[in-house]
Amino acid sequence: MASLGSVEWRAICDKFTNARNLTDVESRNDPENDPFRSKYKARELLREIYCSLKSFEAGECEEESEGESGEQRPTEPFVDGQRDDLFVQGFSGDSPAGLRAAKLGAVEYYLGVNHVDTEELSAGQEHLMNCLKQLEKCKVSSENVSLFIHVRNQLGILWAGRDETETAQGFLETAESIYQLYMKEDGSPPTDMTEYFTTKEKLLTHQERTKRFEFAYTHTMYYLAQVYKNLGDTERAATYCHSTLQRQLQSNQFNPMEWALNAASLSQYYITKGRYMEGRHCLSAALVVSGLAGEVPSEAAAQESETESERREKLRQERAEISRCWIKYCLNLLQDAKKLLEDNTGELDTDRQEELKRVRKREEEEEEKGRKSALLFGSEDTFDSIASLEEKVSCLFPLDFSEARAIFLVGQNHVKEAKEYFQMDGYVTDHVEILQDHSALFRNLAFFEEDLERRCKMHKRRIDMLEPICNDLNAQYYLLIRRQMMFELAETYSEMMDLKMTRSNRQADTESLDNHTIKKINHLCSSSAKYFQMFLDSLCSPEGKFPEHLEEEVLRPALVARFRVARLYSKLICSLPSVHLDNLNKSLENYKYVAKYCEAHPEAVAAVETELELSKEMVGLLPLKINRLKARMAANN
Amino acid sequence: TAFNISDSNSIKVFVRVRPLTHSTGLTTDGDQNLCLTVTSPNTIRLLSKPEPRIFTYDHVADMDTSQDSVFSSVAKNIVESCMNVVFTLFIYCSGKTFTMLGPSDLDNFTDELRGVIPRSFEYLFFLINREVERSGQSKSFLCKCSFIEIYNEQIYDLLDTASASLFLRENIKKGVFVEGAVEKFVNSAAEAYQVLSMGWRNRRVASTSMNRESSRSHAVFSMTLESKESINEVVNIRMSQLNLVDLAGSERQKDTHTEGSRLKEASSINRSLMCLGQVIMALVDVSNGKNRHICYRDSKLTFLLRDSLGGNAKTYIIANVHPGSKCFGETLSTLHFAQRAKLIKNKAVINEDTQGNVR
Repeated sequence: MASLGSVEWRAICDKFTNARNLTDVESRNDPENDPFRSKYKARELLREIYCSLKSFEAGECEEESEGESGEQRPTEPFVDGQRDDLFVQGFSGDSPAGLRAAKLGAVEYYLGVNHVDTEELSAGQEHLMNCLKQLEKCKVSSENVSLFIHVRNQLGILWAGRDETETAQGFLETAESIYQLYMKEDGSPPTDMTEYFTTKEKLLTHQERTKRFEFAYTHTMYYLAQVYKNLGDTERAATYCHSTLQRQLQSNQFNPMEWALNAASLSQYYITKGRYMEGRHCLSAALVVSGLAGEVPSEAAAQESETESERREKLRQERAEISRCWIKYCLNLLQDAKKLLEDNTGELDTDRQEELKRVRKREEEEEEKGRKSALLFGSEDTFDSIASLEEKVSCLFPLDFSEARAIFLVGQNHVKEAKEYFQMDGYVTDHVEILQDHSALFRNLAFFEEDLERRCKMHKRRIDMLEPICNDLNAQYYLLIRRQMMFELAETYSEMMDLKMTRSNRQADTESLDNHTIKKINHLCSSSAKYFQMFLDSLCSPEGKFPEHLEEEVLRPALVARFRVARLYSKLICSLPSVHLDNLNKSLENYKYVAKYCEAHPEAVAAVETELELSKEMVGLLPLKINRLKARMAANN
Repeated sequence: TAFNISDSNSIKVFVRVRPLTHSTGLTTDGDQNLCLTVTSPNTIRLLSKPEPRIFTYDHVADMDTSQDSVFSSVAKNIVESCMNVVFTLFIYCSGKTFTMLGPSDLDNFTDELRGVIPRSFEYLFFLINREVERSGQSKSFLCKCSFIEIYNEQIYDLLDTASASLFLRENIKKGVFVEGAVEKFVNSAAEAYQVLSMGWRNRRVASTSMNRESSRSHAVFSMTLESKESINEVVNIRMSQLNLVDLAGSERQKDTHTEGSRLKEASSINRSLMCLGQVIMALVDVSNGKNRHICYRDSKLTFLLRDSLGGNAKTYIIANVHPGSKCFGETLSTLHFAQRAKLIKNKAVINEDTQGNVR
């Protein structure tokens, strides 16, 4: 600082500290009718600093002769490409000219942020671009690399706010590549921008420098995640979310609860993409990290103090949320396996099962080598715990009952955990959703069960958990959930009926059935029809009228329900001809409805193709059957 | 021009162009350049560049529309059907106080300019009394009001300013409710209006003393109607509800609800990247039929009014716009909001167990 006396320099440093204090601390207490008071004060100080720097050091660097009158005409929108000349051209960062440029750039940077904060975007942009121009004179080095990144982060935010996502992307990607190159070429802890305006005795430690620098880059990752999301590039967005989380974990800069919830959310992304290994990894990491938030305060402690009670509530909720993500993991894994293994009647395809087992064996041998290439979470402290947790659950498709059961049990355990927090009293919707998942876990497990009687019992469990609640829920406030439940109950009863029929080992001749079985089958059959009918009734207007036009989201379910009701009525076993006739007529009426509706609404045909075809067929056949029955009844009379 | 309420889409959008009534202080600030024209009872033409744009709604009221006709074309239907179902009226944006309450927003019960709400109360109690009379006293009504404010995802009770922030809970019979919110019984329109005015006044006090900006808070006034009818010893109880929602203004809600590509910044909240969760949330799509759980909840307002968005409820949105060209930006965003609002729907996906559907 040859031309700046230490007194003047100290004054600049004080001004800078003051400006930062005004921006970060004071501004929070600004009155509503003068919201930017402190920021305007800070701006004045920054301007003074800028002028001092300019005038004191003007003579220092004779290389510079270009007009710096401060009146640069607005240039064309500068698009930041990923430029590799940043490391080779310009002043070296520790030369006087390089340092001067960096300092001026830093003041421009702070002025830019200040203007953006006070909603003067284009002035802000100009200052930030001036900062870039100053930096263009310099090579990237440990003296200025932090500023290189920070200014691009800000420009990224600015342009994204104007809906110019690609421009934002350019700045942020350049920031990313500058960081990577710097770490490769140099990597020493870089100077923080605040250090430009501090006296020697206040310089930061290497550790603190590294921390701040890495944090700025974590922000770059975080902004890029958002940019890619906005651009619709979900895969990259997810990767950047992943990196952001991993960087937070490594640098120990995170709130455990928040981190765990984010990781658990990310697992849901992987699940929807069918990537179970990654999903499991996120979930295991979420569990381990949520443990870092400490023990859940006891109920007694919560009653003692309000902070403890709040903490208890939050921790319990967070853990229940993570459990719910686990439930979905188990559920989807079972469901996808089922899809792989089922034949066209929905039963286990044993040939396919054998083949998949062989494939898996082969892959397992190969995977020993390649597996660890995926993105992984972990810091020194957490890595082993995450890995050991992962080992407890498989991420491969279960191929037989015992494998499916292992996954089911993990899911069921999490159902229990989640229900402890999301109790019916207070969390109706959440509680019911968990029950629905539990039921779906059973449904998928049943697929793998070979013993029909045991399979039936699993479906009975589903009914037992859903039926009482479906009947208790307020029909007005929980209409949508009840619709789902009614449909599911109807299907479950129907499934049980089919199982009972198969087990009695007869489809066609009803005569051979004993009374008890007939009673049982009829009960299941009419229960199923009852719930399908309840579902259909829920679509009616308050005056009880069935809609003439079915809305898109209920179109298929409504027509399917009609079709299934028709089928159920024709399956009811009864010895009394008049009742039988009644049932057949009801059946016909419902088949007719499906056919007629599709005739009147051709757009519905695509949604129910198979059902429609069968309905039409039945509309042709049933009258014959009805007439025969009538004839027989007449003859008997 | 009243529109049919039993239409299949349960959300109706009504746009009102703010009137230029000088005496009420609602002027265009001396700006005579208008940025929009009402071209038909349901279209607005906005003079945007390079080309004017046409927006279509269920109904558009121009500057000359009287308070009475706003009431009869919107609120009358609402009140009639709120005797049966859950009904929600959202009011949004500039001039909303005028539309809702009237020129001086307190106790002005006879004024020609009184707003939609006092008129609704009068009409509702007129209907109630008629019902009671017709039934020969066998039917009775119980009417309860609550008034809450949602600011920064915290819930405050406007009828009990001393209470701390409240929580949303659910009950298998009652649905979603604010736990611990004060409920006042009312017997007449005047009493109901008194409750509303009291809450309204408290809201102002809170906004100045506790640094809450009312332009960034939502206020929800709920009136629960319980009708009891005894026919042949059988008591029939029916519940219905009317929600009046004053939505946060668009002017300063940069960081909430606005769709688009603005990045969530992290610098101010040093360690918190809560928003990362929101990013991930957007990546997890449902379209492929996968079952997933989202850890981050809906906003308090959406959760509270969940029953209003779909199912068997009815919802109206009155969006107010300022015709002056100075307000172009705000007007455009309000018109966009109103258009998007029509698409909001609470859907229930029926998860079919496809196996064995056709056998």
